[in-house]
Amino acid sequence: MKDQWTDRLSEYLDGELTGPERTALEAHLASCDGCRTTLDELRRVVTNARALDDRPPTADLWPAVAARIGLSSRFKARPMVRRFSFTVPEVAAASVVLALLSGGAAWLIGRRGTVPTPPVLVSERAPALLNAPAYPGDARFDAQVADLERAVARGRGRLDTATVRVIERNLRIIDRAIRSAQSALAADPANSYLNLHLAQEMRRKLELLRQAATLAGARS
Amino acid sequence: MELTTPGVATLRRDPDQRALGDAETADAALAASGDGRAFERLYRAHVARVHSLVRRMVGPDHADDIAQDVFVRAWTKLATFRGEAAFGTWLHRLAVNVILARRTTLGTERSRYADSADSLDGVAGRPAAPELSMDFEEAIGRLPDGARQVFVLHDIEGYRHEEIADMLGIVSGTSKSQLHHARMALRRHLER
Repeated sequence: MKDQWTDRLSEYLDGELTGPERTALEAHLASCDGCRTTLDELRRVVTNARALDDRPPTADLWPAVAARIGLSSRFKARPMVRRFSFTVPEVAAASVVLALLSGGAAWLIGRRGTVPTPPVLVSERAPALLNAPAYPGDARFDAQVADLERAVARGRGRLDTATVRVIERNLRIIDRAIRSAQSALAADPANSYLNLHLAQEMRRKLELLRQAATLAGARS
Repeated sequence: MELTTPGVATLRRDPDQRALGDAETADAALAASGDGRAFERLYRAHVARVHSLVRRMVGPDHADDIAQDVFVRAWTKLATFRGEAAFGTWLHRLAVNVILARRTTLGTERSRYADSADSLDGVAGRPAAPELSMDFEEAIGRLPDGARQVFVLHDIEGYRHEEIADMLGIVSGTSKSQLHHARMALRRHLER
């Protein structure tokens, strides 16, 4: 059965009636079984809607998404640095220059009898922690972060300011995530999710620093 | 804690989820700098929610295509994500925009919001026994476009009528009316 109040029941349910309207409707509900029943059903509809589970697509959409955004394979990231290409004569000339420089450096070292500080090869992948456990105070992690930060600092002047800002912003975000995980772990040290999350964030920091160091080195 | 912010009403935030939110913000930053793995992690974490939203809003036929569009658009717009809100909230709003933009192509135009009471009654008025046990999702899918979209945005996704009216280009009163008609139709398909 439908009466003048039936169409206002949803608004009543959502708390959108004015005070006088609400009072009048409540007075009506006290004497109308039909509206009380309808209101209860509407309430159940809302409850059902809020309890709906999300379901993934039946087919994995990632390969199509990856193809459309230019990720040719599952684990290949979009290239972040400029691609360089050289002709064969250029490569040969570069080899000669490199050989001369290496020979000259060796000669200087032998002549002076001193050992210069070895340069940090920013394009070389440092011994990866990617597959090793990472945890606060891990000496290898701290050492790698310090090395990479020095390499980035050295190449910082060669990066444009917008790039530096993006890198620094991303590092701040990751550092915040690391601190958050460490703080949560202090209260719950055995929580496997938090341990995994912390390790992931630390790996991400290394990855980002490596990318930044490579970028700085590539532009030198 | 249940958040009341529109559009994130279904997100609950506890310490683990805050940590997860930080991780997603970091992934979003990495993805914005070109990290495909980070973007895939975000895709895996959100595809069910995005796909469900699309499926409920436009039906199953175009859901895969539009869900793909959402993630492609997200990839191109990652630089605009500032981390001020949760990544899921940002992605969700972007998904709604993509879906609404596709309505025109799919023929779901504003005129459809003038769904007649007859068509809504048609959804409700199938009282044959098998219908009583109809899956609630399927019943939502059988609502007329306008009523279905308002119902999904309000009752499932937590948007307010004013926001829905703004998104759909209708007035707030129409949104309220569509919502009530949708609920009235769906009450026939409640579990008995």
